[in-house]
Amino acid sequence: MKKIVKAMLCVLLIMSLAGCSRNNTVSSVKEPEVTGSETGENQDSKEATETKPVELKIWHDGDEAIMGIIQTSLNESLKDKKITVNFEKKAGLTDQIKLYGTDAANGPDMYLYAHDSVGMFAEMGILAPITDVIGDESLSELLPMTVQAGTYKEKKYQLPVYFETLLFLYNKDLWKGEVPNTTEELYQYMKENTDTAAGTYAVVNQHSTAYNVSPFINGFGGFILSAEGEPGLNNAATKEAIDYNKKFAALQADGDYNTVTTLFNEGKAAAIIGGPWLISGIKEAGINLGYKSLADFTLPNGRNLAPFAGVQGVCVMKYAAEAKKDAIGEVLKTLAGKELGAELAKKSNCAPANVKAYEDTEVAANEMVVTMKQTAETAQPMPNIPQLTVMWAPTESLLAAVNKSGEDLDKAADKYQQEALTAIADMQ
Amino acid sequence: MKGKKKYQPWLYSSPAMILIGIIIVFPILYTGFISLTNMNLFHWLDYRVIGLENFKRALFKVDSGFLKALLTTLLWTAVNMALQLVLSYFIALGLNAPGLKLRRLYKTLLMFPWAMPAYVSILLWRVGMFNTEFGLFNKCLSALGLSKVNFLSENIPAFLSCMILNLWMALPFMIMMIDGALQSIDKCYYESAKLDGAGFWKQNLHITIPFIKPIMAPAVIMTTFTTFKQFDIFYLLTMQKGAYTGATIQTIITYAHQNAFVSNNYGLSSAVSIIIFGIIIALSLFTNRGVKETGEMALRKKGGAYDKA
Repeated sequence: MKKIVKAMLCVLLIMSLAGCSRNNTVSSVKEPEVTGSETGENQDSKEATETKPVELKIWHDGDEAIMGIIQTSLNESLKDKKITVNFEKKAGLTDQIKLYGTDAANGPDMYLYAHDSVGMFAEMGILAPITDVIGDESLSELLPMTVQAGTYKEKKYQLPVYFETLLFLYNKDLWKGEVPNTTEELYQYMKENTDTAAGTYAVVNQHSTAYNVSPFINGFGGFILSAEGEPGLNNAATKEAIDYNKKFAALQADGDYNTVTTLFNEGKAAAIIGGPWLISGIKEAGINLGYKSLADFTLPNGRNLAPFAGVQGVCVMKYAAEAKKDAIGEVLKTLAGKELGAELAKKSNCAPANVKAYEDTEVAANEMVVTMKQTAETAQPMPNIPQLTVMWAPTESLLAAVNKSGEDLDKAADKYQQEALTAIADMQ
Repeated sequence: MKGKKKYQPWLYSSPAMILIGIIIVFPILYTGFISLTNMNLFHWLDYRVIGLENFKRALFKVDSGFLKALLTTLLWTAVNMALQLVLSYFIALGLNAPGLKLRRLYKTLLMFPWAMPAYVSILLWRVGMFNTEFGLFNKCLSALGLSKVNFLSENIPAFLSCMILNLWMALPFMIMMIDGALQSIDKCYYESAKLDGAGFWKQNLHITIPFIKPIMAPAVIMTTFTTFKQFDIFYLLTMQKGAYTGATIQTIITYAHQNAFVSNNYGLSSAVSIIIFGIIIALSLFTNRGVKETGEMALRKKGGAYDKA
């Protein structure tokens, strides 16, 4: 009996080891596969000029419906050139790009993402400038703001497709009279129509997040992070803006995303500062929605509110630009065209980067898209330099300290400016 | 024969050892290697070994913020462990009261917080209990005519809020352990004590607590470690990206996360990880020695009792 059990255990053990051995065999076989794959890609590159089929992979972390529209439109336009584009959703896209950014076999050819990570990936050395693949003339129809957003150290790394920014969204059934044109008038309206005890608000906003306070900061001439990588948390203009924002914050609930969106969608707030990402929830709630550009609000200093803009665009991996240059060039040209832009505006309410797309009659009638384009005149692209990744924590800590904890602005600004400098130094 | 038996156990356990090597030992060693390099955003493909530079930087980062975080963590651990033990002890006593009906139902309900994923529990409390507009606590305060409170915007109320949430999540485990320990005590001790006139407190002090102590020691140590390295409650409740609440409470782990893990400087982050790993290993060895001594003392006492009998 004992011997039988021993024998069985030995057999099981050998089978396990054989299993491990098999895995090792598979992993060693992968090596030639990679080589073969690279050879195949070179071959594809040569044959592309002879209109051989080329398949391109684009990773994204965005709305599936939007990506579906882009993919369908691209593949339709490029059918004759035998180019096929496949969009793949990757949650945690920035981490995935870090892992696969130099892996030609398993990584993407391009990715579509917000522009503020362009500097980080460019600095890592894994991106190719899009001007390596297409000429500047292909970018001539694009909003300058959107092209600037994807430019890092004078090189254009991102082809903009559409952009997002903040809007003043209001419930037409609840708002009394006309929406004001100055922030002071807006504040007066808020004071008269807000009852915090009863939980009814005139305007709600995520008043302690950097993105939602940027209209004030930029409007006062302050900045969170300069183009040279200097934090501006204790800059005089920045502090003035934060102080001004504070009186609005006192009338806007706790500024938490869930709180303010629920208040607006349930009709307890007449207006909300938000972007296109809120629209689906608002429509579901059945709200009669009105739009006003933040650029139409004038500050006491005579300037207008200037929100951040986030540009969604395509970046090209360095290895793909070398191996599939012509096919990628065709894709980028099509992405930059007005046809795709108009389609995005009509089907998904995206604000296209292409200026001519707005000439389409249906697009011109889309109130939200037109309001976004209007805002693009004063909107500032978020900084795209790598240092931005560590700026959110000190910036939002400062805003929360002032708006929620009642900390002294000057002390808090100096404290978090120092924190920001330390965090930036730690990146090296 | 002797030689064969000497090597057999290693042979049998080698598949498991290989697996442990791949998924536990290798990552630690790789982290150790990265901690000796300057791998970061600006040296992604061309990093090189820079010796102990990262460790020097990591240790010099022990500024006043770290000491404050350390003290906060010690306070957090001490208060939570004390409250956990006291509350779960009395709840377990209640569950073991003779003649209690629906005992199983109560135990099941009390175990529910343990069954929920921590992430879900924390977010539910944040939105459902502590929220300024819709939270249960503020609904009650409004109904009583009092003004709303933002529980998470300042450090002391935020600390207390985190503590309440941690107790809610951690009590089930401790209750279950004490409940099991209580059931292992022979009832005849209580009968004898009762005959000799001992009351509730004396029974607990001289019978219940000494008997459950050896069983509870490992559970307490394990929970102390878990509480000491708490990250998710503070992070998810007060410092989610885009949802800072204003409280600036830092524990050692949240401090390390904020100061080392968001900078994309993997060399420095790895050095911090190795240092934390070293600290935890040292604490672990220290507590293991403590448990061993306790065990020996228990054995001696037992021997003594036997000798007397």
